[in-house]
Amino acid sequence: MPDQIKDDVAGGALGEAPPAVRVEGLWKRFGEQIAVAGIDLTLPAGRFIGLVGPNGAGKTTTLSMVTGLLRPDQGRVEVAGHDVWRDPVEVKARIGVLPEGLRLFERLSGRELLAYTGRLRGLPGAEVDKRATQLLDVLDLAGAQHKLVVDYSTGMRKKIGLAAALLHNPDVLFLDEPFEGVDPVSAQTIRGVLERYTASGATVVFSSHVMELVESLCDWVAVMVAGRIRAQGPLAEVRGEAPSLQSAFLELVGAHGRDAGESLDWLGGAR
Amino acid sequence: MISVFVRLKLSLLRGGLRQSAGRRAAYVTSAVLTLLFAAGQLLGLVLLRGSEHAGTVVVLLTGVLALGWAVFPLFFPSGDETLDPTRLVMLPLRPGPLVRALLVSSLVGIGPLFTLCLAVGSAVALAHGAAAVVAAVVAVPLVVLVCVALARAVAAGNVRLLTSRKGRDLAVLSGLVIAVGIQFVNFGAQRLGRAGGLSALDPAGDVVRWIPPASALGAVEAAGEGAYGEAAAGLLLSAAALGLLLYAWRRSLVRLMTAPDGSTLAAASRPSRRESAASSASPGPGRLWPEGRTGTVMTRSLRYVARDPKTKAAWVTSLALGLIVPLFNALQGTGSIYFACFAAGMLGVQMYNQFGQDTSAFWMVAMTISSARDAYEELRARALALLLVTLPYVVLVTVLTAAVLGDWRTLPDALGLSFGVLGAMLGTGAVASARFPYSIPQEGAFKNVAPGQAGLAWMSILGGMVTAAVLCAPLIALMVWLHASGAGLSGRLLLLALGAAWGTLVAWAGLRLAAPRTAKRLPEIVAAVSKG
Repeated sequence: MPDQIKDDVAGGALGEAPPAVRVEGLWKRFGEQIAVAGIDLTLPAGRFIGLVGPNGAGKTTTLSMVTGLLRPDQGRVEVAGHDVWRDPVEVKARIGVLPEGLRLFERLSGRELLAYTGRLRGLPGAEVDKRATQLLDVLDLAGAQHKLVVDYSTGMRKKIGLAAALLHNPDVLFLDEPFEGVDPVSAQTIRGVLERYTASGATVVFSSHVMELVESLCDWVAVMVAGRIRAQGPLAEVRGEAPSLQSAFLELVGAHGRDAGESLDWLGGAR
Repeated sequence: MISVFVRLKLSLLRGGLRQSAGRRAAYVTSAVLTLLFAAGQLLGLVLLRGSEHAGTVVVLLTGVLALGWAVFPLFFPSGDETLDPTRLVMLPLRPGPLVRALLVSSLVGIGPLFTLCLAVGSAVALAHGAAAVVAAVVAVPLVVLVCVALARAVAAGNVRLLTSRKGRDLAVLSGLVIAVGIQFVNFGAQRLGRAGGLSALDPAGDVVRWIPPASALGAVEAAGEGAYGEAAAGLLLSAAALGLLLYAWRRSLVRLMTAPDGSTLAAASRPSRRESAASSASPGPGRLWPEGRTGTVMTRSLRYVARDPKTKAAWVTSLALGLIVPLFNALQGTGSIYFACFAAGMLGVQMYNQFGQDTSAFWMVAMTISSARDAYEELRARALALLLVTLPYVVLVTVLTAAVLGDWRTLPDALGLSFGVLGAMLGTGAVASARFPYSIPQEGAFKNVAPGQAGLAWMSILGGMVTAAVLCAPLIALMVWLHASGAGLSGRLLLLALGAAWGTLVAWAGLRLAAPRTAKRLPEIVAAVSKG
């Protein structure tokens, strides 16, 4: 029942405010390889949204195109009602991004990285330093704030990247695999910050291939397979009759019933 | 066990070559070049036979060679796969046989072959008489073994350093040592040529002949002259060195493979004194960061010059060469004050590929640029950061060159030309940064372009330099005309002012031209600088 009520609230809001992200007919090919094959997506505002799919499904390519870091071959992307490619001034001020596989300015310390990012975004210096101090505290990075980012562990890098993405208080936050390679303690910290952030009415869109995580965090999911969106909607709707998102996902991908059979019958047998 | 390791080494070589055609071509080219060079050395050494300085030359050459072997693993830590013994930790191996097997497998490769050629050539140059030949038969393998063992012992002793970030930073800086070193060798050789030949080296040779592995070749010469005691001492010295190196190598191997690596432990990291001082003493931690994009970008650029090994190496090389070339030429009396423009050119090159210098971290900048105005401010801030160092430096180099030459009269127009060149380099650099961005691989001192982007890099820098030269042509023409008409001081000062004004104008125009292109091509730039 709580799900129902939440949906109604979001549905009401949908009528007034534009969706957080609207994608129409988005295509991207690299040479012969089609990475994203004409997807349509409408992600409601104020939700915790998971973009799930196996490796190579096109999640990173999609997020890069939505955030303006990669030019699509075809298609339209709107964030909070503004076209990403025609109206970058409006869009770039409203989004925060944590990409996967791109570096940070690693020869700055954690604190310097935040000071740099905030000022580059045009925020007043005193405000940047205040926010940076709080973010470093909450993300448990205060002890390492003067260490160079190049010496950070994977979890610490994700956390400082998240801090840099949150610094200007964006409406929509895009995170590509924010929990990949992150230890459980850091993951819990990241989770706490993100939950607090969405509770304020902001939108988080994150990609992952860990279904349990998506199921426990998100109230809205989009399933991506081989460059296409297979399903999108509230979590309960996508999950349907299946006992878990994992099995619903395997069903969608068509990977159910694949068995090792007898080919590995020696494994675990008499030595 | 030895044969297993030798085969492993050969497979690794084969596997590495199979990876890409480019790598294969590079390997074959380097092998052919090295062997040609070795053949040349061999021929030269054989021709040296009978010369009275043969002993000195051979001994010094061997000394330099050994030094090279000792330094090599520090600069090229990833040069050899069998080199990293930590990969063998999980295998049940005893240190004794392991050292033997690693030593033999290390003898496979171009480097040892080159050393062997040199050692054989040296022995041929020195061996006069039966006793010397006998000594040479012992000395040649000894030289090769000591060189290889030296490299391995140094590498094993420093594996922890070499695989850490500090070590990798050090390796990147090595290019710098070599670039500047070549200049010194160059000028040193010119000096030597004038100072009256090789006899100047004899005192150095007398010392080096007692240092292993050169002592083994010194022994060959001594045996030829009948000084058998001296010969035996020389050979024994080298053999003892080999034993000592193997012992040291074995000890570090045992330590490496049995002691745990604590370098990634984080828990116990108390804030160091500097950190705690920084956090307690600073009223606002961001006090050094100015407001607005211009100051912020300048601060970041200058911090990267100090902290990023790749950027630092490029800068220090530019600064050093920009000073050495005009000044040394002036010292040798062959220079002209206009050589000082070289400094402006060397540093101006740093404006090229600005975004490639950011690596893929450029996305953080791209996310904050939403108009041509933002892009202009970004580029202008980077140019200003460059100017902050370059402007005083160019003045300093020009004045120093003038002082050495005693040519104060031409100082104003040389300075004017330098400013013009600097402005042209900044302007064309900005345009090239927007139009031809390319990735700079972060590891390795000698890889400055990602595979497949070499053409782009050449086009960017070469095209830019030609354009910069063309842009400076009016200034040069004016200068020639002023010289021809015998203008006085006022004319020269006018040229200085004109040069500064022209440089400013060209730089400004370049930034203006580059800004809208940068703003429009952000995704393309991000893609171009994220390769490799």
